[in-house]
Amino acid sequence: MKDPRYYLSILAGKSVMGVLKLMGRKATSLPGKLAVAVYPELLKEINDRCKKKVLITGTNGKTTTNNIINHIMRSATGRIISNLEGSNMRQGLASAFLKNKKPEYDWGFFEIDEGSFPGIVKYIRPDYVVVTNFFRDQLDRYGEIETTVSRIRDHVKSLNCTFILNADDPFVAQFGQLSKRALFYGVKRNMLSSRKEVIVETRFCPVCSRRLHYRYFNYGHLGEFRCPCGFRNPAYDYYISRIKQKANRYHFDFFSRKKVLKGLSFPYTGLYNSYNCAAALTFCFAAGADPGVIRKSLETFEYKLGRLEDFRFRNTTVKLVLAKNPIGLTQVLHNISFDRRPKALLLLLNDNIADGRDVSWIWDADFNLLAEMKDLKAVFCSGRRGEDMALRIKYAGISLDLIRRTDDDIRSSIRKILKENVGIIYIIPTYTALFETRNVLVDYQKHFDRKGG
Amino acid sequence: MKKKMELNIVHLYPDVLNLYGDLGNVLCLKKRCEWRGLKVNVVNHNVRSGRGLERGDIFFLGGGSDRSQAIVYHHLMGLGPVLKKVIAEEKVVLAICGGYQLLGRCYVDSDGKEIPGLKIFDFITKSSKNRLIGNIIIDNLLGLKPLNIVGFENHGGRTYHDLQALGTVRSGFGNNSEDKKEGLVYRNCIGTYMHGPLLPKNPHLADHLIRKALERKYGNQELRVLDDSFEYSAHDKVKKLYL
Repeated sequence: MKDPRYYLSILAGKSVMGVLKLMGRKATSLPGKLAVAVYPELLKEINDRCKKKVLITGTNGKTTTNNIINHIMRSATGRIISNLEGSNMRQGLASAFLKNKKPEYDWGFFEIDEGSFPGIVKYIRPDYVVVTNFFRDQLDRYGEIETTVSRIRDHVKSLNCTFILNADDPFVAQFGQLSKRALFYGVKRNMLSSRKEVIVETRFCPVCSRRLHYRYFNYGHLGEFRCPCGFRNPAYDYYISRIKQKANRYHFDFFSRKKVLKGLSFPYTGLYNSYNCAAALTFCFAAGADPGVIRKSLETFEYKLGRLEDFRFRNTTVKLVLAKNPIGLTQVLHNISFDRRPKALLLLLNDNIADGRDVSWIWDADFNLLAEMKDLKAVFCSGRRGEDMALRIKYAGISLDLIRRTDDDIRSSIRKILKENVGIIYIIPTYTALFETRNVLVDYQKHFDRKGG
Repeated sequence: MKKKMELNIVHLYPDVLNLYGDLGNVLCLKKRCEWRGLKVNVVNHNVRSGRGLERGDIFFLGGGSDRSQAIVYHHLMGLGPVLKKVIAEEKVVLAICGGYQLLGRCYVDSDGKEIPGLKIFDFITKSSKNRLIGNIIIDNLLGLKPLNIVGFENHGGRTYHDLQALGTVRSGFGNNSEDKKEGLVYRNCIGTYMHGPLLPKNPHLADHLIRKALERKYGNQELRVLDDSFEYSAHDKVKKLYL
């Protein structure tokens, strides 16, 4: 017979979920937290119900990669469990289970917070582990990047699974030594690759600590590298090449060792999204997905929940983009610099625990691009630490008459920016500001639709 | 014609010791000089650089991860005599976190092993398991107005000394979370655990460093007053939230 605590945990979790929904709150974390507290073995139950499991970890791109994988694999089976909304600690997995409880799943796709990875692999025994990248992120929570990398390395060593690894990130590529079953993916040199990378990140060999030589950078420390000690990018098993941007889409070819999928199209731009595609496609190929399905799913992929989500209003479009660490924010700004429409930005900086209490990371992001944008009409700064953001962009050389300092209140700052007469508005929140921002936008949009604008 | 005044800022190992937005300090000094019509040269000094440190007027030494600090450790130890001379000559030095710890006699790691520092000052730092992390607010002991200096600290080491401190802790931990002292001041050298980055949100401290560097080079100087409303609203927000 099953442990009675199992039933109790489900009951407790479901009840809280019901209450939260009645209150109109998101239920991605708290119900699971309670359920796991009542019955810690709940994760093992999830493990046992999945035929195959995939864990996705790393600093950036987990949620997007997970969503692309889901979107592609869904056409073959509906029996999937996944924490698609990015709640990626133990409670997030448990909440996903409470929401979608089935006796058996063909696939479990879980994105896992770098810090929670060791605790989760105790219960969930993966068939695949996808590692996207390692960048600096919330040093007050995770500690230095080396600490995160070595913690994860220690815990994947004993796993008997296939690794899907970013060959262009030296910190991820070194994981290849841990298993014979490693598949490497990457993005070839392209129109956005550069000889010089401005952002200061770790660029020392993870094996011998000497300075790495780069032939080119794609972004951050991702690129083609080699070290005098012999460490270099592993050969690609799968890669993306020939990227072209048309309108607001990327077109590219995807190569495996045997096959090429030519002229794939993906509705989101940015090299970081190409890496997310490369990771997801590598998994889908390895798992035997149909190439026709892959092509079609990629074309129709649509993001929800604030990773480049669009909201259309009468005179303008609002794009909502999460940015939670220096490299992510730099890439978002880089991507925006290709948009030539007259535009306004709203930067929302919070310092709650899930954002990281330390807001100094904004000084490690590259704002020079913002200072150079000719079509920039206004930059609003808000959130609990909006004043810090305003100060940051002042020192980046943004003209002071473009900077609008509003109060902390997200709703009122959105109301103000919607009055700007521009073609496009970018709203860039940190993690805890994302959900509130999204709710406000959904709200305003309903109101706007009702007025028939 | 009067020659334009000029300051050289030496940024030590910017490609390695660059945690927690500390490069914002150098940017802050540079901008605040430029807004006043002063010429500024930022010299990035790294393991491949040769001599020429003597030309610096302001030196900035940040901290890095354990691995990063190990990468530059031997090179930095070679700079000991130069830095000692620079400090004795009353040049401006700002050392933060790992950089601050390195100014001392040694760092005692978790196994009790002593890692020698630059030995410019006679103090030690002891490693401790629990890191001291959070927003920090101090009352400055430099006589600067306003009284507070705000920032963010994140350090495992506890530093103990009887030298002049930078400030008295109002909220947060400081040197060791015991004696309420934060940082160290000797002549124009400041060591501190405060990130944030430190200078942009504390323009009075940034200007103090610029004034000292100019004074030493060109004699007494009045600094033109800047509009610091952005700076002080960020400064005041930290106080509002965390004091």
